[in-house]
Amino acid sequence: MNIKIHPGEFVFVVGASGAGKSTFMKLIIHEEKPNAGEIIVNGYRLSHMKRRQVPLLRRTMGIVFQDFRLIPNMDVFENVAFAMHVVGANNREIRKRVSYVLNLVGLGGKARSRPSELSGGEQQRVGLARALVNRPSLLIADEPTGNVDPNMSYEIVELLTEINRRGTTILMVTHEHQLVRDFNRRVIMLENGTVVADNEDGGLQ
Amino acid sequence: MKLRSVRYLTVEGFKNIWVNRLMSIASIGVLVACMLMMGVAIILTLNVDKALGQLEEQNVVMAYFDDTLSEQEARAACTQLGQLDNVATAEFISKAEGLQRQMETMEDSQKEYFQWLQDDNPLPDSAKIILSDLSQFDSTVEQIKNTPGVARINEQRDLAMKISSIKRALTMAGGGVIGLLLLIALVIVANTVRVTMYGRKLEISIMKAVGATNAFIRFPFVVEGVVLGILSAGVTTGVIYLVYKAAMGVMETALNIQAIPFSQFVWPLFGIFAAMGILTGLISSIFMISKYLRKEGSEFRAL
Repeated sequence: MNIKIHPGEFVFVVGASGAGKSTFMKLIIHEEKPNAGEIIVNGYRLSHMKRRQVPLLRRTMGIVFQDFRLIPNMDVFENVAFAMHVVGANNREIRKRVSYVLNLVGLGGKARSRPSELSGGEQQRVGLARALVNRPSLLIADEPTGNVDPNMSYEIVELLTEINRRGTTILMVTHEHQLVRDFNRRVIMLENGTVVADNEDGGLQ
Repeated sequence: MKLRSVRYLTVEGFKNIWVNRLMSIASIGVLVACMLMMGVAIILTLNVDKALGQLEEQNVVMAYFDDTLSEQEARAACTQLGQLDNVATAEFISKAEGLQRQMETMEDSQKEYFQWLQDDNPLPDSAKIILSDLSQFDSTVEQIKNTPGVARINEQRDLAMKISSIKRALTMAGGGVIGLLLLIALVIVANTVRVTMYGRKLEISIMKAVGATNAFIRFPFVVEGVVLGILSAGVTTGVIYLVYKAAMGVMETALNIQAIPFSQFVWPLFGIFAAMGILTGLISSIFMISKYLRKEGSEFRAL
């Protein structure tokens, strides 16, 4: 396959299970290495990358997980701040930036709540805030609506659209075709590890 | 790594000890047990070694000087003996002194009988020699024999050999036991680290996803391992102090053995334990985490 995703794009990746969506994402975050071919992400040539460069690559992207991956014994603020501690940000910076992203995802008032006190949609917004807090140029969302109520799913994708409008490239894996149709964005369709369709207009053919 | 990160991670390490306090207590318990056995081995070795040392000092080599030498010349020969490599001390005993010492061991009636010896002393001048290392007994004795002026010597080779072989066996057994216990401690701590690590799978996967370096992920575990090691060392030293104090009383009253006072080795002992704790903490955490990060630290797959 040969795919180019431009900065600032919003792309859905769809396909049945086993079509290669997960592998596609793992290749981009460099959790798996390709057997052949070349992948370039945010200027990093992944086939020639040394192991110690992997963290630097990861800092240019944000990842949103299907299962949220929030740490249960940390509150919302700490969960988001955690990502900034990892890159060595200072406390003032952290306080400012975390408040900002929590407001952005509409959770400004829930900073001191535990993940267990939040709905699925809210938890995923915390996950989104964490992915955004280090200002990545690329956001990867792996079935972000998979564990969220259907009506909340729209909210999440709308939020992603808003983030995309501010300049972040979005790559979202999903199998919810209705969602893809409604948002009318570029769609990459995978089957048996190859691209069977790449439509600019949300078409699923 | 930035100083800020080091501070943050150190605090995290301490927090982890508290959050996983049950696991922490369990690993301290196991480490303390290991260190206790090791402490017993060390203390026994030290005490037996000391007792042997006392025995060793009693094992002297007597050198008798040639009758034709004047006292001046004999003294010079004795000084020469004292300068041999393996000789700790060489004490000069003149004829007169030798006789007096001999007389002191006698009963009064005997003393009177041998009174005439005072005028015609048949004893030669001699040197009482203590060796520093009994394992080189034979070669040193040979050197003494070959020193000019020495006519003959009197030694107890069998005793010397026995002491030196007991010492060697003791050192080897002590070293073996200590090495084995160190290995056990290492395995146990490594296992503890692994358990806490799996308990923090979630955190590790997030850290990797947001671009944490391996050093960053490892650091709190290392802090945890080291702190647990030092805590264990403290606890062990305390326990040993209490036990040793009680045992010392028994030994001195019942067995009439002079034990080494605790204060003499408390710091070295704590040092050994702390070093052991830190080392096992360091090695096991670095090793286990690296293995985990290489093989199982996945970010994307479901946990």
